[in-house]
Amino acid sequence: MTTATASAPAGAGVRAGRAKTKTVVGTRRQLDASELAATGLRDRWYPIYPSRFVGPGDMVKVRRLGVDWLLFRDARGQIRMLEDRCPHRSAPLSVGQHLGDRVACKYHGVQVNGDGTVVSVPGMPGCALEGKTVTASLAVEEGADMIFAFMPLTEDSEVTEFKLPDRLDNPEVSWFSNYAEWNSPWRFYMDNVLDPMHGAFLHRDSHSMFGGDTSARFRIRETDRGFFFEKTDQRGKNFDWVEYCRESMDYVDLEIPYADSAGPGGSFGIVGMSTPIDAHTSAVFHWRTRTVSDWERDVWRFMYKTTLEEKHWVVLEQDRELLEALAADADKDEHLYQHDLGVARIRRVHDADAQKQAAILSEGIA
Amino acid sequence: MPEQYLEANQSRVGPPNPYELKLAGALSEIFASGSHELPAIISGLNNLGLNAPDGHPWDETRFRSEMRRLGE
Repeated sequence: MTTATASAPAGAGVRAGRAKTKTVVGTRRQLDASELAATGLRDRWYPIYPSRFVGPGDMVKVRRLGVDWLLFRDARGQIRMLEDRCPHRSAPLSVGQHLGDRVACKYHGVQVNGDGTVVSVPGMPGCALEGKTVTASLAVEEGADMIFAFMPLTEDSEVTEFKLPDRLDNPEVSWFSNYAEWNSPWRFYMDNVLDPMHGAFLHRDSHSMFGGDTSARFRIRETDRGFFFEKTDQRGKNFDWVEYCRESMDYVDLEIPYADSAGPGGSFGIVGMSTPIDAHTSAVFHWRTRTVSDWERDVWRFMYKTTLEEKHWVVLEQDRELLEALAADADKDEHLYQHDLGVARIRRVHDADAQKQAAILSEGIA
Repeated sequence: MPEQYLEANQSRVGPPNPYELKLAGALSEIFASGSHELPAIISGLNNLGLNAPDGHPWDETRFRSEMRRLGE
């Protein structure tokens, strides 16, 4: 299910010829903790884009964590991810030409391969730039219909092992992926999924979240990969729990009951992830899963394609519309109550990470 | 930000045809009645007057085969 595509030392391309200041890969500057929290924490894997959107010969520009990147497949079909910036005069490589194992910049024809190494400077053969690895390239993997990349903090960052969430790497689980772009900060996505209580209100008219009480008590339960935030007095009726997982990537794992009309197989699961596009917009990834086999699997997949996917979409749109309507500073001066323990916890986790990563950057210029 | 990607249907290449919609609707109706077992589903389809694609009443072989085709 997982296909290794290309691995490179994180930020390997930005080593040569630079002063030893620690800048964030792809940004050429330091970021403080608030900027890191706003544009995305580094040193972890993120889903980037659906695999199907990058065909052979395509040159696709995507903005992720506030940086422009180029996605392309090399001659062997392996996905490559380079900073979308020619090392010569910084023109976007994405408007250049795909040359199989490399791309050529439209401005002066400089050719950069999938590792970020300049392989040819046609205007000046023998130029010292040739052979230098000066374009940032990321370690990338494909799995579960998506392209994933390791987003390094600095050029010294070590790429961690890529691992899909268990639910997506289990042959007994059938899943469908879904990709969307939301005009809301990525941290609002995390707040939303760490808040199961919104299901009983925002989604009460949905096909899957009409059941259960509209009041509840919650608790946090630690797991070896993160924590559960769950109702103490209701299970299997609504959006009653969520597990926040910190593995090679951050994701949420949860289950929601299906109505009888969804057929055999019980609850469906959701694996959810959000990747910052920039400080204000997010790429949102969901996998709808069900543990089914044999004819029940086929029936679910048929029903998903014909009826269920659109019902799921309606629910997801309810989330998007609410989050996009929030003020940019919606998470300031709130009045949280017991249902918001999960929100408070995830914010603490991310704030601690942002502070830690900002400290690594500031140490670099001591 | 360029055009926002918001596509409701990402699991199929085109809209379901009338036959698929009718079959899915019938199955939803049968499932909603609480029938999730294979014999009950098959008799439910036949009781609703739906035939298998070959014009014959549904049986287990026909149902499995058709779901396999439609589910992939």
